[in-house]
Parts: sequence; structure tokens; C-alpha cells
Amino acid sequence: MAASVRYLLKPWTPSVCFVRWSRYNPYYLDPDPSKDAVPESELSVEEKELQELKTVSPIKAALSSDTSSAFSDPLISKFINMMMQDGNKILARGIMTQTLETIKRRQVEKYHKSPAAKRDEVECNPYAIFHQALENCKPIIGLASVQKGGKFYQVPVPLTDNRRRFLAMKWLITECRDNKHRRTHMYEKLSQELLAAFTNEGNVVKRKHDLHKMAEANRAYAHYRWW
Amino acid sequence: MNLHKLSSRLRHTVTQKFRHLHTQGSGRQLEAVVAETSSADLNPLSVFRTSEQDPACHSERHAGQYYTIPPAHIQKLFPHGLPQRFQLQIKTFNEGCVMVRPPALELISYLKRADYSNPPLRCILYGDTGSGKTLSLCHALHYCYTQGWLILHIPDAHLWVKNCKELLPSSSRPSRFDQPIQASQWLKNFKITNERFLSKIKTTQRYVWTKRESTEKGQPLGELVDQGVNRMKSSSDVVGAVMRELRLQAGGATDGEGAFKLAVAVDGVNALWGKTSLKKEDKTMCEPEELTLIHNLRKMMKNDWSGGAILTALSQTGSLFKPRSAYLPNELLGEEGFDQMEPFVPVSVPIYSEKEFESCYLYYLDRNWLQHQHNSGESDPDLDVAPSSSSLASTEGEEDSEDPGSEWIGRNGEVWFSTNAETTPFLQPARGVTPGPTRYAIARVQNMDSVFNGFCFLRSR
Repeated sequence: MAASVRYLLKPWTPSVCFVRWSRYNPYYLDPDPSKDAVPESELSVEEKELQELKTVSPIKAALSSDTSSAFSDPLISKFINMMMQDGNKILARGIMTQTLETIKRRQVEKYHKSPAAKRDEVECNPYAIFHQALENCKPIIGLASVQKGGKFYQVPVPLTDNRRRFLAMKWLITECRDNKHRRTHMYEKLSQELLAAFTNEGNVVKRKHDLHKMAEANRAYAHYRWW
Repeated sequence: MNLHKLSSRLRHTVTQKFRHLHTQGSGRQLEAVVAETSSADLNPLSVFRTSEQDPACHSERHAGQYYTIPPAHIQKLFPHGLPQRFQLQIKTFNEGCVMVRPPALELISYLKRADYSNPPLRCILYGDTGSGKTLSLCHALHYCYTQGWLILHIPDAHLWVKNCKELLPSSSRPSRFDQPIQASQWLKNFKITNERFLSKIKTTQRYVWTKRESTEKGQPLGELVDQGVNRMKSSSDVVGAVMRELRLQAGGATDGEGAFKLAVAVDGVNALWGKTSLKKEDKTMCEPEELTLIHNLRKMMKNDWSGGAILTALSQTGSLFKPRSAYLPNELLGEEGFDQMEPFVPVSVPIYSEKEFESCYLYYLDRNWLQHQHNSGESDPDLDVAPSSSSLASTEGEEDSEDPGSEWIGRNGEVWFSTNAETTPFLQPARGVTPGPTRYAIARVQNMDSVFNGFCFLRSR
């Protein structure tokens, strides 16, 4: 009975809400699917305020790709979304899983074939390899097309973190789609590129270096940037 | 038993190779590992690996442990016999390890005790998809190989009834169809496996292949096999001839030179009596009877010869026109197949038991295959076994050990209890979920009375 009384006194929110084509109010918070419950004492003042806010603010609807699983990785999810074509997420996720498995198999094989002294240097974790390879592919500085006096100049410009991550992923995917042999599977091509990028070799890292060189060559035009 | 204490002990004592272990189940092997590691020298191999490499000496003592097949044996015995994923695993781990499991031990014990002057023993391995039928068959075959038998291994009979690029009308009989590619491929692998028998066995009759080619009586079997490998057109008939020769001579000669035992191993035996997906030239479906290879294999399955054994495994995965849930012999073999195969010994292959699962887990850890960092530090709430160890227990830290069922601490710190004695029997809640009033009520529902009692008498303080 006590439970039913509490239920009646709660502020009413509609049980069905049409969110698909609407724009959320700015005060809506993102859903946080993590299961870690941090004890009260370890939170700083801001984090405590955030926790308070979470109990009262409304939260956006969770995407179907949000999981509380220990195996979910935001970077891998973003890469899967970028690889996806025509909304075929199942295929993109399958390719990603196969890529990670191929990377792990190659590295574990290398681990077992190498002598005991060299074994510590072999990185077998495919997630670590993916993260490191992506880091190695991220450009530090980019070029923007700026119009001055009727002509367009390629001006070196700093890039935001999101833009850098996007460029790295885009280059990886286009490199694998366009410049490889037609009859190899995507997961094979991706795993080769990722392993090469992990050791700073391969076409994607080369493209990053080319971009840096262009930016270096055009550094005289840096003053054309007004932002 | 408490897995958390065990795994935290392991974290201290074991080297970096053994990551934080999350296993459900009794953890008997984990205990054994800890006992081992606490002693002076670290020898975890004895828990999930066995040093007994000879399948003839495997017994229940080794059940759940991995034994290594020597690379030379893998190359000779299994040029085509191992499943695809297992071959990848051999390549990755640089060794071929198979787990010793009860179905394979059962097969080996039958082979040891059988009387080979009687017609051959027919065993059928059946079980769910992925439960280990093919690898149990390979284990038994390895035993036969080490005992010096002649191995006739068809790795997957389904490959002979589907996806055939060249279906030629048979050269010898008008109503049959030949499959030259599959037949010559199989003969090549047969040659690799049974190299040493090829010169010892002689043919018993004259075989005429074409106007100009024939194999005389008394020629070694190797010539017959070469004939099939070199001349693709007659390779299916050569397969039939080879099978016939082996059937006739299996238990026959008792002198040292010619005596051999024949092991016929067929994986996916339900393909022999199912349907094919091959079409004849007039676009009608081909029956399995009309294929030379299948016809000869069916003759092999009959127990009218002696001096060997027939080991088979069913398979739903590659089968045609069979529902995915079918795994029993009468479902997969069909009426005709079941009648032809009777009498047979059915051997059930279950999925991994807890002990076998732990063994597999430790093997993967040893081979550096498990890489993902689980939440280090606190264990995964999904694997909590008892509610008293969940993270949101009562703030005072009391463990309801004396009376585990009478009171529950809910999500907001409320204490739920029942005012009626009938609703106190305790049932385990779902793992990873902090019990609330619904879970409390559902755990106590057994019949209409308890439903009513739960509805009326549930209180919170």
C-alpha cells in the first residue's frame, strides 16, 4: 500500500513519448549504461552535483546499440557506424568482429612462434592494437580551403579531436575499400591495414604524413586563417 | 564455494598470464591450480593438460584434460579430416590439442574390447550442433591410427551431395552419375593417410576401365589408387573398387604380412540417406542412390564384412532440407537410413560440463588467447552467485546468513519482509539485479496460496 501511495505522488510523465523525429530539449541528459556504482565518498563536488542532476532530469532514449556490456567500446561502435552501408549494422558488426579475431589470431601465432625473450613485445590484445593504430593514423594538423583575393589557398589549420578521429577512420575505410585487391574480404584488408598502422607503416599512415608535409609546405599561408 | 575469495587468491599468487578469472561452477580445477601454485614450483599443466599422448592409454582419469596430437600424425592422418575452425586453431596456437571426453573414451573402449571376427561394430555419434561429435570421432581415429589400422575417413559426406561442379554420367553404369573432382581429391588424401598399406594389399580381380586401361589381378592397391588419381574420368569407379577390395580383405588374412583392421569413419552420415541438391541434365533432382560415390559408401555401411569397425557421426550443420532443431538419429537419418544402419550403438555427445569448461578456459588462458580486460578490481556483478555478495547490500554490512530469506534490502534502502510465514521460503534472485519488491514477491510465489499471501502481506518498513 505504501508503494502505491508513493506511485501516485510521483510527478506524472507520459509513458509513450515520440522522440524519433523530435529534437531533444537541451536539458535532457545522455543515457549512461555503465553498471559501475562508485561509492559516495569518492566523488568530487561536481560529480556529486551531476549525480543529483541525474536523479531529477529527464534522460534521452537509449540507442539500440547502447549496452552495459563489458565488451562495448565507444571507439569500436563509432567505427562500426562509419563502416555501415545502407543501415546494415549486422554486417558491419560482423566484419568488425572478424577483423578483431583475425588480428588476434595473427598476433597470437606470432607470439607462439617467437622465442621466449621476444614474447613480451608482441601485443596480442586486438582492442589495444585498434586504439594504437587509430592514434597513429590521426593527423595533427589539417588543411582548409580559404578564399583570398579571388584565389583559393590551402591553409594549415588545427583540427578538433572529433575531426581527427573522423579523418583517421575515414581514411582507413576508404583505403581498404578502394586500394586493395578486389577478391580479398574486408576483414582481411582491415586487419592488414590496422596491423601496419600499429607499427607506423602502411598507406594510411603515409597519407597522414603527406598531409603533414603539405601543411608544412603551405605554412606561409597560415595567416589567412581568421578563426 | 566462493569464487571471489579463490580468484583474489589467484590474483596474488599466479603470474601475469593468469588474468582475473570469472567462472561459474564449482571451481574445482581453480582450487587445484591454487594448490599447485602455492607449492614451490609452478606446474599448472597437470590440471588441464595431460602428458599421456597415446590415445590407447587414455582413461576416465584424463577426462577433461587436453592431449597433444603430434604434428606428424596430424599431417598424415588428417589431411582433410579436421574441421575448419580447428585447423585455424592449430595454426594459431602452434599445436593441435584435443580434449579427452567421455564419448571418445566410450568409442575407444568398444574398439578395444570388440571381437574382430564378427561383423563390424557400428557406432553413431549424435548430439547438438557444436557439441564435439567430429572431434570425438577424430580422437577415436587417432587411436586406430596409433594401433596401425587402415583408415577410411570421409570427412564430410555432405560435400558429396551438394555443390558439385561436374556431374558426369557414369562410365560403367547407365543410370549413375560420377563426381570426378570429389573422388580424385578423396583418393589423394586416402593415399597420404595409408601410405604403408598400399604396397601390401593386392587386388583380387581384374578391373577394366576403358578399352585400353585395366588393372590386373594381384596388383598392389597403390596402382589402383594412382589410376584413380591420374584418370579423373574413372576415379569414382576406382573409389568403389578400393572400397570393395578393403571390404573383402579386411579381416581375411591371418598371416603377419597381410592382416589389417579397417576403420571406416564417416562424418555427416545422414547425407547418405537424405536428399541431394544436385540436378540432372533434364533439371530433375538427383537421388543419392544415383551417385556412384554414395552408392558405394552405402555398401560400405552394411555390416556384411568383418575385421574392422564403422564409426560415424551425424551432422545437421551441412545437411540439406533438415530443420535446425533436429539432432537425434531417427530425425536426421530418416526412416530408410535408420533401417539400414540398424543395429547400431548410439553414443550421445553432450556439451561441455563444468569441469570441461574450466579446462577449456585454462587452456585458452595458457595459450594467451583471452585478451579482453574485464573490470579489474571489482568482479562483474553478473557473476554474483548469492545476493549477500551484491554491492548494494545493507549499509550496516550485515550478511543475512542466519536467516537469508526473511528480509531483503531494496533499492532505496527499504527493508522488505513478510508478515506471513508461508512466504518466507527463499529462492535465489536474478543475478546482477538489486532485488526490489517485485523480485521479492515473485521469489515467493509457488502456488495460489502464496500468490495471495504475497499480495496481502508484503510490507516495507
